[in-house]
Amino acid sequence: MIISQSSGVPIYQQISDSFRNDILEGKYEEGAYLPSIRGLAKELKISVITTIKAYEQLESEGLVTAVQGKGYYVNAQDGEMLREQHQRKVEGALLEAIKYAKIAGMSDSELTDTLNTLLKFAEE
Amino acid sequence: METSAVISCRNIEKKYKNFELKVDELDFPKGFATALIGENGAGKTTLLEIMAGIRLDHKGEVTYFDKFSEKDRENNPEVKNSIGYTGTGTYFLPNWDMKQAKEVQEILFDSFDGEKYEKILKDLAVVNGSAFEKNKKVNNLSDGTRTKVMLAGVLARDTKLLLMDEPASPLDPLMRDKLCSIIRDYLAENEGEKSVIFSTHNVADMENVTDYVAIVENGRVVEKGFVEDLKEKYVYVKGNKADEEKAGKYMFDMTSGSYGFEGLCLSENADKLSGLDLVFESPTLMQITIGVMRANTKLSGF
Repeated sequence: MIISQSSGVPIYQQISDSFRNDILEGKYEEGAYLPSIRGLAKELKISVITTIKAYEQLESEGLVTAVQGKGYYVNAQDGEMLREQHQRKVEGALLEAIKYAKIAGMSDSELTDTLNTLLKFAEE
Repeated sequence: METSAVISCRNIEKKYKNFELKVDELDFPKGFATALIGENGAGKTTLLEIMAGIRLDHKGEVTYFDKFSEKDRENNPEVKNSIGYTGTGTYFLPNWDMKQAKEVQEILFDSFDGEKYEKILKDLAVVNGSAFEKNKKVNNLSDGTRTKVMLAGVLARDTKLLLMDEPASPLDPLMRDKLCSIIRDYLAENEGEKSVIFSTHNVADMENVTDYVAIVENGRVVEKGFVEDLKEKYVYVKGNKADEEKAGKYMFDMTSGSYGFEGLCLSENADKLSGLDLVFESPTLMQITIGVMRANTKLSGF
């Protein structure tokens, strides 16, 4: 996990983003525990409270559950929710693409053409 | 998030000729590192000394580990042994040599581990080949080295709470980084059971090891909270000269120059600044500290 102090993205956000990706990609088995709060703080050279905030965010998204005195374990990821999370990522990436297309002065049809071409490439 | 207090201060009062420390309510969260920040003479050292039991004559109550009184701290070795303290002076007599300093600590503290002590001294580069002499007098050590010797002393014991007065100040950048690692290691040793309270002027150096802060000004706690909560309570605002007057009345604290202004704003007031061409940023602990200190200082010219 790479933490940037100067990216403008809060550190807790960077941590929760990284764990969210790993969880959604299935790198953590259901019921597996995330690293201990203070152990992770030590490894990443950040404060304990920042780590807690990152884990609390994952908890609020329903990805993990906190157990008093034991830490945070990964919830079963139901298919519907996974799909939704991925969909949100796709939308985010497309919005980013639209933003750059505007900067580059591309027309809407040029943009959709590019997408279609890329889709074809990806299929091959 | 639920937390319990490793130390609770209630109605603490300590009067000096020209200064009065008055802390109505202050709880230090268990399992975290807390920084006491404030101007010179704000009362940080006095508060730490009261908590460490160096100053016994004060009003109010200090409770340790949720159940022990100050009397327990004095009479119950279990309580006393679980608290480690390092100050800005030295508690070694000046004419002691390093060997004597170790021997005295071995006598004083039940859980003092001589081997661990030597290892930590090595880690902290106090024991560094020929540069170190066992019969060197404590008095002849540099401030930084003396701090390291005191750190090694408390870390070689089996404690649950470290109270450290300005541990970072006499240390060089490399050793400050080491100090941060030491604090994180200590907190991680026994997940959630160990706590650290330190005072510091080196807010930026210590930011990544500060969970909770109490900002002390002129003998009063003027702001306290978990760093992540304070980063939501305040927002850092920057703007152009043209917007300064309109924005100024909603700012918590600001400084202005020829081209524009910047400073701390309460997040709840940020809405009132909409419509102006401003940049909003999440504040660093340093920015929060400076803003809160400036808003509360009794010094003029700020």
